[in-house]
Amino acid sequence: MLDRLFFILSETLTSLRRHGMLQVAAVSTACVALILLGSVGMMLYKLDAIAQSLPRQFEMEVFLKPEVPRERTLALQKQVEAMPAVASVQLVPREQAWEEEKKRYASEVNLSDLPNPLPDKLIVRTDQPEQLPQVAARLQNHPDVDEVLDQRGTLERVLAVARLVRWLGLSLVSMLLLSALVLIYNAVRLTIFARQLEVRIMALVGATLRTIRMPFILEGMVQGGLGGVLAAGLVLMGAGLLSDYMLRLWPFLNDLPPGAPATLVLGGLPTLGMLLGGLCAWWAARRFVRIG
Amino acid sequence: MVELLGVSVVYGEAYALRRVSLKVEPGEFVFLVGTTGAGKSTLLKLLYGAIRPTEGRVFVDGQEVNRLRERDIPFLRRRMGVIPQDYPLLPRKTVWENIAYGLRAIGYSQSAVRRRVAQVLAQVGMSAQAHAYPHQLSGGEAQRVAIARALANNPPLLLADEPTANLDPDTSWEIVQLLQQINLRGTTVIVATHNRSIVDRANKRVVALDRGQIISDVPRGGYPAELDKLYPPVAIVPGTSFLNRS
Repeated sequence: MLDRLFFILSETLTSLRRHGMLQVAAVSTACVALILLGSVGMMLYKLDAIAQSLPRQFEMEVFLKPEVPRERTLALQKQVEAMPAVASVQLVPREQAWEEEKKRYASEVNLSDLPNPLPDKLIVRTDQPEQLPQVAARLQNHPDVDEVLDQRGTLERVLAVARLVRWLGLSLVSMLLLSALVLIYNAVRLTIFARQLEVRIMALVGATLRTIRMPFILEGMVQGGLGGVLAAGLVLMGAGLLSDYMLRLWPFLNDLPPGAPATLVLGGLPTLGMLLGGLCAWWAARRFVRIG
Repeated sequence: MVELLGVSVVYGEAYALRRVSLKVEPGEFVFLVGTTGAGKSTLLKLLYGAIRPTEGRVFVDGQEVNRLRERDIPFLRRRMGVIPQDYPLLPRKTVWENIAYGLRAIGYSQSAVRRRVAQVLAQVGMSAQAHAYPHQLSGGEAQRVAIARALANNPPLLLADEPTANLDPDTSWEIVQLLQQINLRGTTVIVATHNRSIVDRANKRVVALDRGQIISDVPRGGYPAELDKLYPPVAIVPGTSFLNRS
């Protein structure tokens, strides 16, 4: 058993060593397809994290007018709490909000000398998401209320972008994966033809189909895996550079939740590459390695 | 050992073999003779499961070959040695490695490979060339290596397709003598050939094929007269040309 395993591995290594240009073609094809897959995957991951971090659909922020005194804010809080659809009301006093803002932007700008421009804020939660619009409409008409933000619009926009990215990305990735599959398949097919003599001799002496085909399948897995490793490195490097550039342009992006963890990319893309490479090679070997 | 019952092989509309029946007992040495296209190679390919009969049944060592699934064919081939017409050798491997390659492919351990390769190289008289590459060998030596590889698994049946093609008469006879020695050790040997001189000289069982049919089967003898009648031998006189022969 171990001897046959050594034989299969040595055949795989021989083939990998002898057909250098074919390996380069197959690995780079797998790499390009997996870079695109990885990039789209990372974008989707980020968008999903943004969507998750937004207030839930049945939560809204009620900003009061700046001139409204604290007593009237507290009175309004009680009034809202008494509404039947409302689950809870949390007051965020303007002083607390300003302290938080000052801390948040401390690294970029010093806000301590400025007067507090923020109003008091109520965070209102409803029992059910569908109750939100009517509560928001009632509060919007209240004379002390300046603005009601229920974030539904933002959430919907993020989700719409996520949907678009998902569909565009999946279509693009599917097409690229298909062409990568065909290219790896072709690379393995060419390797099979290049090793026709070995295949023929193995078949004549009575090697099993599995023994004859396995080196080609392993070769496809190595090609896909190497493509995946390269792709993971390039995706992470590209994401890092892009993220630094965007943060310099728009510092507020720093508040967004982090993207896909590096371990996921480093583990996922090579694994996926190996699986796809192995699948293509299995397909080619099944078709072109015969013992007749 | 080998039995064909009413076997036909049809390629498109042409018969490569037509209702052939043949029985070869264990330990026999048989020449399959006939002109190019007579069906000799087709018959051998049927025996090692490279093709399937259009009709009829093929038995090797008690097993019905035409009923075997593709994945069972390798196990049939481990019980026979096959020497194809072009005796393929791996050009980047030495003689030793070429023989070892076949054994490793069927799961022999390193120590068994070492032992067996040394034995078969001695058997075919190629021990001295163990580390030579195929391009350094003569045609006869390369054929001996192909025979050694076919013998490596110690099979009870040896199939050789035109083993003396492209070899001079002396080397051809050496190869036939080697095959006869192997036969004397109990291996059944079936040789497809159109080499008249080796058949005449060996005086073994001769089965003649013509256009896919067996036209004679003699237990001992030379090149069959039936074939001579159908295809009279042409004497090639030096200095003459096919073009001006009338």
